[in-house]
Amino acid sequence: MTMRRRTFLGLAGVASLAGCGYRSPDAEYKQPAGAVPKQYAGRTRVVFWSSYGGTNGKAVDKLVAKFNESQTDVYVEAQFQGSYDDVAQKIAAGLIARQTPDLAVLSDVTWERFFLNDALEPLNGYFTDGFGPAVFHSKLFNEYVVKGQSWCVPFARSTPILYYNRDVFAKAGLPDRAPRTWSELRSWGATLAKVDANGRPMRTLALAKVDGDWQFQGNVWQFGGAYSKGLDVTIDEDGAVAAGEFQRQLIHIDGHGYMASSPMTDFAGGLVAMCQDSTGGLKSAMSKAKFKVGAGFIPSEVAAGLATGGGGIGMFRNASAERKQAAAKFLEFLATPENSAWWTTQSGYLPVVDKAREDPALKKLVADEPNYGVAIAQLVNARPQDAIRLYGRNANVAIYTGLQQIYADNADPKKVFASVARRLEAIADEVSRLYESKVL
Amino acid sequence: MTVVDLPARAHPDEVRQPPGTDERRRRTRREYGLFALLVAPNLLVIAVFAYWPIVYNAWLSLTDWNMIAARPTFVGLDNYVNTLTDPAFHKTLGVTVAFTGLIVAGSLVIGLALAVLFNQPLKGRGLVRTISFAPHILSGAAVATIWLFVFDPGYGLMRALIEPFGAEPPDWMNNSDWALPGLVIVYLWKNVGFTALIYLAGLQGLPKELDEAAAIDGAGTWTRFRAIKLPLLAPISFFLLITTVIGTFQAFDVIAVMTGGGPGDATTTLSWSIYNEGFQAFNAGRAATLSIIMFAILLVVTTIQARVMERRVHYR
Repeated sequence: MTMRRRTFLGLAGVASLAGCGYRSPDAEYKQPAGAVPKQYAGRTRVVFWSSYGGTNGKAVDKLVAKFNESQTDVYVEAQFQGSYDDVAQKIAAGLIARQTPDLAVLSDVTWERFFLNDALEPLNGYFTDGFGPAVFHSKLFNEYVVKGQSWCVPFARSTPILYYNRDVFAKAGLPDRAPRTWSELRSWGATLAKVDANGRPMRTLALAKVDGDWQFQGNVWQFGGAYSKGLDVTIDEDGAVAAGEFQRQLIHIDGHGYMASSPMTDFAGGLVAMCQDSTGGLKSAMSKAKFKVGAGFIPSEVAAGLATGGGGIGMFRNASAERKQAAAKFLEFLATPENSAWWTTQSGYLPVVDKAREDPALKKLVADEPNYGVAIAQLVNARPQDAIRLYGRNANVAIYTGLQQIYADNADPKKVFASVARRLEAIADEVSRLYESKVL
Repeated sequence: MTVVDLPARAHPDEVRQPPGTDERRRRTRREYGLFALLVAPNLLVIAVFAYWPIVYNAWLSLTDWNMIAARPTFVGLDNYVNTLTDPAFHKTLGVTVAFTGLIVAGSLVIGLALAVLFNQPLKGRGLVRTISFAPHILSGAAVATIWLFVFDPGYGLMRALIEPFGAEPPDWMNNSDWALPGLVIVYLWKNVGFTALIYLAGLQGLPKELDEAAAIDGAGTWTRFRAIKLPLLAPISFFLLITTVIGTFQAFDVIAVMTGGGPGDATTTLSWSIYNEGFQAFNAGRAATLSIIMFAILLVVTTIQARVMERRVHYR
């Protein structure tokens, strides 16, 4: 009797264990809860998880409201879910609970994991004349194309740009432009230090404590290196080490650079003369700063090179066919030149639709405030990011954790990157099978 | 404990059943049923929300799973081998031990000192007690945000306090040598009020006779404190020791907001690395393994503490 009961309990336990975490890529999942306003009752509801708050969040809400007014079949509900990482975590948790948003904003380093694991809906089948490869900026569009199939569409795409304090530059007697090379930037350090910054010498450059690996991806190229070639890790080789060594010297030898929890906050507060930050923060920076904000290209050194970043929008495979069709309508709406241009004027993100650049409102904005044109012009320097940062799970964290050791502890970049490289190689091993079968 | 005379169990074949046994058996069964019915709601909740996750977590620790893939892959003890031989894990353990040790020692010592102070008939002590306890009920994230401001090298309160004396404050959270002490200060600030409150209750509950007798015998204040009050407070110290160790091991909120485990891995504790592996890296197997290891460590620590204290703590 006792034995039989134990056996039964054991079997039940194993059976329920086996049931957990298993999901079918083609099952139909529920939507996250929410409320449909009365006037939109009866429409197909689409849940859109966004990671934009503040100024940019308000602009997203306006776009969504405009869409809901523009037609009578679909109701889009935008739900703000926190940072890019927060959104990715919540989607993963949702999938385990068999629940999925229909659309979500995915960052340059989070969409790949959903793609590799069959959670994203291929988008080619939804393309129309007004929504597809011919409409979008080709570089930005192609970043989401794998083997001819699109897995996300660009939305809030950005590049880092060099922000500089024009008032401080004027006081220091420097030209009113961003430095052209990193060496030039370094040579301006002593001059900038003569300017007062809230009772201290003005520092030249603030480097990001968290997520600094995005800017550093470009910096590595500018010094002639790479994070990886394919999944073969090269961060411990010359160019990358030179970029790390440059930043180490700027911080620990010159005393003109430092690591900041939020470089943009320090910059807008007048504590530092320059930072390299997303173009998506341009509007907010210009409204917060009490000085004239300048923007320029990220400096080059031995080469020019730039990582794009920011968010695209992906559609989820486990949504119902009806919801997917409705969601595609919203994507098409966002891809009109007018809406794409409007989003750029509100946020500073790149116009992801080619024709948006001819939009009169955007043209006027760029003419009045050339800062808005910088990122667009700088796009010629953009390259596809190194595969390890894109496809290696948590590779970005491994890299910026290493950078923190250089920035905070004056650690030798060669040693730091040797240990980061070992970590990245382990990460590459984890993903190599999926990468080889789905991407190559 | 009362001793109950239990009827000796007889072999069913041997004994002819006395009349009424059936009914008794039915009644016993009914009582069991009622018992089950009454405990079921609680048991169910605990099973679903406490025991089941532990069992599931143990299973996950034997798998490789990125939380998005349709199913976990069974890998046996790979995660344990990789974790236990990983130098980064050893560093994490070191940080966790240092962090826990400093906070446990700090909050017991400062908490007791505060309690002794609050036990004096001083003016305004009610207000001071309230103020010192207040941080305990604040949410960790809010506390962390306030302290980020205090520690900020550019705008922070520390700068305003220290600079007039000609010294430069450290960049607390962005410096590997200062980040951990900074976190310890924040946790102490948050938790010492609670420790003090518990100690104060203990002090006020101590019998006056012993203290008076010792005073008459000529024992000084310090001697009375060390030889009489401190041993009598041992059960309370023991309680605080266990709860603080467990609480500190699980500390997460303030670390997440203030340092994110950095700079580098300077403040990566075991609980932070579980979060990082699980929700940043989507490495469910590794995160589950770390959780099981933490569970095991806490189990061992608590058992040792309980054994040691059993012998040395005197409950009255």
